[in-house]
Amino acid sequence: MEIILLVAALLPVVCGVLLLARKAFDGDSLRPAVLVVLALVLVLVIAGAVGPRGELQLLHLGRSPALTVYFRADGLGLFFAILAAIMWLLSGLFAQEYMAHEEDQRRYYGFLLLTEGALLTLCFAGNYLTLYLGFEFMTVLSVPLVLHTQTEAARQASFKYLLYSVFGACLGLAGFFTIYTYGTSTVFTPGGVLDPAKIAGHETLLQIVAFLSILGFGAKAGMFPLQAWLPTAHPEAPAPASALLSGVITKAGVLSIIRVVYYQFGRDFLRGTWVQYAWLALALCTVLMGSMLAYKENLFKKRLAYSTVSQVSYVLFGLALMEKTAFVGALLHVVYHSVIKDGLFFTAGAIICRTGRKTVDQYRGIGKEMPITMWCFTICSLGLVGIPPLGGFVSKWYLAMGALHSGLDVVNWLGPVILLASALLTAGYLFSITIQAFFPGASFHYDTVQRHEPTTWMLIPLVVLAAATLLLGLLPQPILQAAEAISGTLFGEVIA
Amino acid sequence: MSNPFLLVPIFCPMAGALLSYLVGRKSKPARDVVASLFGIVTFLSAALLFVQAAAGRTFTFAIPYICANGLTFKLDGFRALYAGVAALMWMSTTVFSGEYLEHYRNRNRYYLFTLLTCGATIGVFLSNDFFTTFVFFEIMSFTSYVLVIHDEKPAAMRAGETYIAVAVIGGMVMLMGLFLLQFALGTLNFDQLQAAAGQGANQMLLYTAGVLILFGFGAKAGMFPLHIWLPKAHPVAPAPASALLSGILTKAGIFGVLVLSGRLFFHDSTWGSLILTLGVITMFLGALLAVFSIDLKRTLACSSMSQIGFILVGIGMQGLLGHHNSLAVWGTVLHMVNHSLLKLVLFLCAGAIFMNLHVLDLNKLRGWGRNKPLLHLCFLMGVLGITGVPLWNGYISKTLLHESIVEYIELLEAAGAGTALFHCVEWIFLISGGLTAAYMTKLYICIFWEKPMQPFEEHKKPYMHLHSALCIAIPALLLPLMGMLPTQIMGGMARMAQGFTGGESPEHAIAWFSLTNLKGAAISLGIGAAVYLLIIRPLLMAKDEESGRRVYVNRWPAWLDLEMLVYRPLVQYIIPFVTALVCRILDHLTDWGVALLNHSLLRKRPIPPRNEEDYKPGNFLPRERGDFVSQRIVSSISYSLLLFGVGFCVAMGYMILILLLR
Repeated sequence: MEIILLVAALLPVVCGVLLLARKAFDGDSLRPAVLVVLALVLVLVIAGAVGPRGELQLLHLGRSPALTVYFRADGLGLFFAILAAIMWLLSGLFAQEYMAHEEDQRRYYGFLLLTEGALLTLCFAGNYLTLYLGFEFMTVLSVPLVLHTQTEAARQASFKYLLYSVFGACLGLAGFFTIYTYGTSTVFTPGGVLDPAKIAGHETLLQIVAFLSILGFGAKAGMFPLQAWLPTAHPEAPAPASALLSGVITKAGVLSIIRVVYYQFGRDFLRGTWVQYAWLALALCTVLMGSMLAYKENLFKKRLAYSTVSQVSYVLFGLALMEKTAFVGALLHVVYHSVIKDGLFFTAGAIICRTGRKTVDQYRGIGKEMPITMWCFTICSLGLVGIPPLGGFVSKWYLAMGALHSGLDVVNWLGPVILLASALLTAGYLFSITIQAFFPGASFHYDTVQRHEPTTWMLIPLVVLAAATLLLGLLPQPILQAAEAISGTLFGEVIA
Repeated sequence: MSNPFLLVPIFCPMAGALLSYLVGRKSKPARDVVASLFGIVTFLSAALLFVQAAAGRTFTFAIPYICANGLTFKLDGFRALYAGVAALMWMSTTVFSGEYLEHYRNRNRYYLFTLLTCGATIGVFLSNDFFTTFVFFEIMSFTSYVLVIHDEKPAAMRAGETYIAVAVIGGMVMLMGLFLLQFALGTLNFDQLQAAAGQGANQMLLYTAGVLILFGFGAKAGMFPLHIWLPKAHPVAPAPASALLSGILTKAGIFGVLVLSGRLFFHDSTWGSLILTLGVITMFLGALLAVFSIDLKRTLACSSMSQIGFILVGIGMQGLLGHHNSLAVWGTVLHMVNHSLLKLVLFLCAGAIFMNLHVLDLNKLRGWGRNKPLLHLCFLMGVLGITGVPLWNGYISKTLLHESIVEYIELLEAAGAGTALFHCVEWIFLISGGLTAAYMTKLYICIFWEKPMQPFEEHKKPYMHLHSALCIAIPALLLPLMGMLPTQIMGGMARMAQGFTGGESPEHAIAWFSLTNLKGAAISLGIGAAVYLLIIRPLLMAKDEESGRRVYVNRWPAWLDLEMLVYRPLVQYIIPFVTALVCRILDHLTDWGVALLNHSLLRKRPIPPRNEEDYKPGNFLPRERGDFVSQRIVSSISYSLLLFGVGFCVAMGYMILILLLR
């Protein structure tokens, strides 16, 4: 069965390369064809997930077992892979109309597929090297998505993106060399691979390297201090791509951090050290900073990008607590944030596509023009704030409970306080849009309202995501079970 | 006993909301009928539950896995009573809305959200753990926002802003409290709180959690210092919605306070003192604001705040009195019910006036009620009820609350402790009652007895439809009925509800109309008459130059507004400015680092670009884009090789370092 997963990761790569290589593929049939590929990938990933798990050793580079490209699909990898495949499909659906108005579709779709391939590689990576390769490929291949409009701002943004990400990956590479030296293997093993005999006396060095790896992979997840590229680059991409960049690709950073911290250095090695506290501090700082800057931002997509900075750090906070409940909360938030942020970026895309309005102060009365779109936006934003019974609420509950049970000083109560303060700001920057959109005031001219509702192609993913926000909030059991199974492999001995 | 019928009054109006919205897209009259029908069906289902609970049955129901923690519901006497009151209020207001909103825009939206709020509010009252309460409480907060800002005028939008800000902040603070409570006790279930709190839980943690949760519920109830939204939001909503906001949504907040006081901090005198203090301030401040107000609905809204204060005083006394709390428990519950019904009647009367005149300023609606006997009668019932005149319902509950304070003073005297503080509380209580009488007399005389400033143009006759009139008249008739049969009706209700907060039955039958009890009412009414004659008429009215008549003026200094003075500057400007400044600096830190490198270590030889206006160099692009030579260099293979070589050297150096360190 494992071969199916390999096919799933290779299929978008092959299709992407074909697309880029042959001009003949350009045309109106391009978009539906890509959609079919995306759907096929999703089916393959799910088929692979349902079947028995296996390992697949693909390629040896050199004689050392560490320098092997090694694929393995465990629960965690599949969790992220399924999420990614679903979001890619929805983005493909959304792009049906959105990209119809854009130029260079072949390039866009080619790199979109390649990025998916790289991301799936990263998800199925079984050792550090494969993860690193997937990470770098993903970075490089997603640059053209940011660069799409080829304006000066886009060029500037993509260079910034590249610089930050490559710098981050370099820090991650330091982790690889260290694990290679001090670990028993570089294969991802729950609980870590450090060799106690080798590390004796080198703890400080290892802690520094672990911290640098977290920082480096944190760049992708938008963690302070390497977060600055995110609010520049995400808004530049076309909306279906920014949705993926914000909703899914940032999660690749999260996955890499989980792999490095929980499967390489090991939770026990880092728990209670300065690394944990510094990481917690950075995550909390980012949570508050992202929300505050989003609150002050007028450009809609940039506001959403800042919001991503804040929300992904909710996840990192949960991981940094190194506690079972918080870990479950973090995985839940990965799903909720992907769903919600994709929904929000699709709203932004729909508005920009239909009306061309990009700043928030132009959205007065837009709920009368695009009611379904704005209803979806409202549901998603309620979810992001964490209003029960919608999605974000459940993950926030788990994160806060995890923090309180973590037994760490100060952070145990300060963490939830900051999460709630950030939720308050989230309400501030999202509800103000809803209120303007639906309640334009008594002086609003209703007779000038024109309907700008997007076509069904655009509405389907929006409605699906809004419905998912509601349903996954009401009935979180399926993802909760998956998340608990994963955390069970990591925290098996802890009863929280 | 598990019984899924409990869900009917919660989800029936929610289903009705969606259905009426869909119907409303096709036909407006049909929508009004559908919404009213759902209001009636909800009431019938709640009434059915009420009958069951009155017979002493309790039901529970749980839906596991919803929002991960699952929802639990329970029906006992108190909850059945309050679900019934809520359903009654929604039935009346929904039917009344048909006429009231005739000329409004966005009516579909109104019905959708009013019915959703109905389901959520009943959900709050039927919940059996704080998690469930919180879920429905948040739904209620957000759906009711749409009711507040319904007419979208600037005043409404501004009030709505305050409302939603308080709701969101209150919700978040409450959630923090719930986190702590769940952490401290391991349960949020109402039936287990008391036992869990008794098992040596960390008291400090419990009090912190309690205060945080109180913040959320108190904000909704209009408790000082979180009352700021109430006098602004209630008047701007359409009258039927104001009746709901004042009459029942505030009680959802009180419900939470009751659970905290009656379960978590059962017989806890520290907690009781806290609630009592806040209650006394709320009670007096609300009454004072109401005396000054010259806007019909604002007066009623401030009055609501004051009456909530009375209820909080009752809750505080429950904590202080410990085992002798029966009078306080009865007084609290009955005052809640009374206030709901009174505000239903009064706000709907105000609605009847507003839908004809479209003004709320007392000077402009002066004398409109003359020659309208039905309206006059209904309003009078409300006035007599709320001022606590014997034989009307308000007298009963206020007397009980007063007696509970007197009882505590007696207990203190018996124990030999100082009683001065509680004599003060008693007097503030009586004075607040007096102020109630004063501002209600002001409204009543202004609307129904004084001569109009100029004759009114009567737009339509009759001034309200029969079904709207019934919505006011039936609850209005209940008021004296309850007051005249206290033992049968009021006592029955109190007996049903007392178990919820652990109240005990009174030791002996209550002499409702005994001399001491009448004396308390008489003192209050006397103070009221004095305030009306000595303060309101001479000081709060002034001669108008144009008409030459004395008109009502607002003597409350405009700057004296807690919201404008403290909260808004703090929340809107000071805190965001400071944090945003810090955040911006942090955000740019790395970029500045890159810029610094670009201008120092990585600085290239300055070659003036050929075309200076052509572009603006940024930190992440080669600086001399306009320069042909440097562009060639950057894009050449040898340059790539050079970069590769540098990278290779770094990697080699790194590996050597690692080897050395081994």
